[in-house]
Amino acid sequence: MRLAAVKPVSRVLARELAVTALLLAGVSVVVFAILYLAPGDPLHALGVREAQGMPRTWHGQYAAWFGKVLQGNFGNSIRTGLPVLPELARVGVNTLYLTLGALALTLAIAVPIAVHAAAHGDTAGNTAATIGAYILSALPVFWLGYIVVYVFIHQFGMFPLISGTAAKQPHAWLYFLVPIFVLGTASGTLSEMIRHLREELSRVLAEDYIRTARAKGARVWRHAFKEGFLIPASEIMSAKIPFLLGGAVIVEQVFNWPGMGRMAWQAAQDRDFPVIMGIALVAAAFVRLGNLLQRVVFTAVNPRASQE
Amino acid sequence: MARYVQAHMTVAGIAELPLFRRAETLDLLYIGYGLTVVVLVLASYLAGAFGWLPHDAQAINVALLNAPPFTPGHALGTDFLGRDLLSRLVLGIQAYFLPGLLSVALAIVGGSVLGVLAGWRGGWWDTLITYLANLLDSFPRLVLILLVIAAFKPDIYYVMVVVGITSMPVIANLVAGKIAFLRQKSFIEAAHALGLPGHTVILKHILWFNCRALLVIQATLGMAEAILIETSLSYLGFGVQEPTPSWGNMVLSGANYFLQGNFWPSTAPALAILATILGFQLLGDGLNNLLEGKRRR
Repeated sequence: MRLAAVKPVSRVLARELAVTALLLAGVSVVVFAILYLAPGDPLHALGVREAQGMPRTWHGQYAAWFGKVLQGNFGNSIRTGLPVLPELARVGVNTLYLTLGALALTLAIAVPIAVHAAAHGDTAGNTAATIGAYILSALPVFWLGYIVVYVFIHQFGMFPLISGTAAKQPHAWLYFLVPIFVLGTASGTLSEMIRHLREELSRVLAEDYIRTARAKGARVWRHAFKEGFLIPASEIMSAKIPFLLGGAVIVEQVFNWPGMGRMAWQAAQDRDFPVIMGIALVAAAFVRLGNLLQRVVFTAVNPRASQE
Repeated sequence: MARYVQAHMTVAGIAELPLFRRAETLDLLYIGYGLTVVVLVLASYLAGAFGWLPHDAQAINVALLNAPPFTPGHALGTDFLGRDLLSRLVLGIQAYFLPGLLSVALAIVGGSVLGVLAGWRGGWWDTLITYLANLLDSFPRLVLILLVIAAFKPDIYYVMVVVGITSMPVIANLVAGKIAFLRQKSFIEAAHALGLPGHTVILKHILWFNCRALLVIQATLGMAEAILIETSLSYLGFGVQEPTPSWGNMVLSGANYFLQGNFWPSTAPALAILATILGFQLLGDGLNNLLEGKRRR
C-alpha cells in the first residue's frame, strides 16, 4: 500500500510543480500589469526603464523586470532606501509566527466542535457553538483587538504590555499570544473551518463503507480519518492561508506588530511600490506553497487522484 | 477544485410542501434575521441619502462628549466631538452601499459569463477559468487591494472593482457546475429539439430559471464581503476620511478613548458592522440551505 503510493506522489508532484510554476508566472504578470498601468511610472522607480539598453516595449520591460525578480532583486524601498528582499525576510518571520499560530489555534477550536457536531448531529450545544463561531467571525478584527488589549492587558494584566518592536524583555513571548488569539478567533476563518470540516465529516460518516465498518465492529474513526478529516482539514487550511495573511494586515496594525502586513500598510501609505510589490509576490508564493502541500497530502492519501 | 453538485430532492412529498414548511427552524431564523438587516440597511441608506437624520451628523457639541446611549436627544449617545452617533451610523452606510452593490453586480455578471463559457463551451474555457480562479486565489485580497491603492489611488470604487473581479471565479465555478448538471436534463434537450436559440436556453432556461437562487445567495455573501473590506479599509485609513462618517473610521477614532473606559463610541459602529455582516452571511447560508437543498445532515 505504502509502496504503491510512492510513484504516483512523485508523478503528481511533478505535475503540481508545473502548475504552481505556471500560476506563479501568472501572479507576476498580474503584479506587472498593475505596475505598468499605474500613473507616475512606478517601473521607472524600479529601474526597469531608465537603464541603458533597456527595451521599451511592454514585453521587453516585463522580461527585464521578471529577470530581476527571479534573481531576488526586488529593488530598494523608496522610503528607507534599503533593499526590499532582506527587509521582507526580516519581518516575514514575525508574520509567519502570527499566521501559523493563528492557524493552529483555529484548528484547535474548530476540530472538536466540528467532530462533535458531525458525530452527534444537531444538539443544542453544537448549534450554540456554531452560532458563537459565526458571531465571532463576523466581529470586526480591529475592534476585537482593542477589547482584548483592554481586558487581558489593561484590566487583568495577564500579558505584558509591550509591542512587537520593543527590545527583548523577559516573558516577551507571552505578548505573541495576544495577536495570535485575535487573528485565530476572528477574521472569518473559524466559522468556515467548522462548517467545512463538519459537512465533509458527516458526508463521509454517512457513506456505505463506514456503515460496513460499523457493522463489523471496526473502529469508525480509523476508517473515516483519511477521507473525512485529513483531506478536508488540509483543504481548508490551504484555502484559508490568503485570508489569514489578509487578516494579518489588520491585526499587525492594531498590535503594532512588525510584520509584512504592517509593512504593506506603510508601503501603501507612501506609494512605496517596490515594497508592496515584493509583499504581494511573497504572499502569493506562500499561498501557492500551501496549496502545493495540500495537493501532496491529497495525493498521498488518495493515490487514485494521480490517474485523473 | 471540487465542483458544486446539486443535491437530488427525491422525496416527492417533501418537495410538494410550501417552501417555508419544509425549511428547518434554524434556517428560517437565519433568513428572517438576514431580511430584517437588509431592510434596515436599505431604509437607513435611503434616510441618509435624503438627509432624514435625527441630528446633523457633523454638528459638534463640546458640552456633551462621549455621551452614553439613551442620553436625552441622542438615542445612541455621542462621539468624541459630541456628534450624534445614530446619525453618523446611518450616514456611514453611504460609504459602502453603492460601492458594495457595484462589486456584487460586477462579480455576478462577470461570474455568470465566465461560468456559462466554462459550463457550456467546456474544454479549453474550463481550464482557463480554473486557472484564473487559482491565480486570483493566490493573492490575499487585502494585499492585492493595498497594491492597487499604492499603484493608483485610495478610491473605494477602484477597490470594489478589485473585489468584484476577485469574486468572479467562485461564482463562475458554481454556475459552471450547475450547467454541467443541467445539460443532461431532458428539458434542455427538449428546448434544443424545439429549435430554441442557444442564448434563450442559456439566459432563460438555465440562468433565470435555475441559477437565480444561486446568484442571489452569492450576491448576499458578496455584500457581506464588500462591507468587511470597506470597514477594514476605512479602519486602515484608506477609505472615507474623517469628517465623513464610515463605520470603519468611527471604530478607529472611538478607539482612542478606549483605555479611558469610553467603549461606546467605538463599540456602537463595531456592533453595527457585526450585526450587518452577520445578517448578510446568515441570509446567504439560510437561503443556500433552503433553496439549494444543501442539508446539514
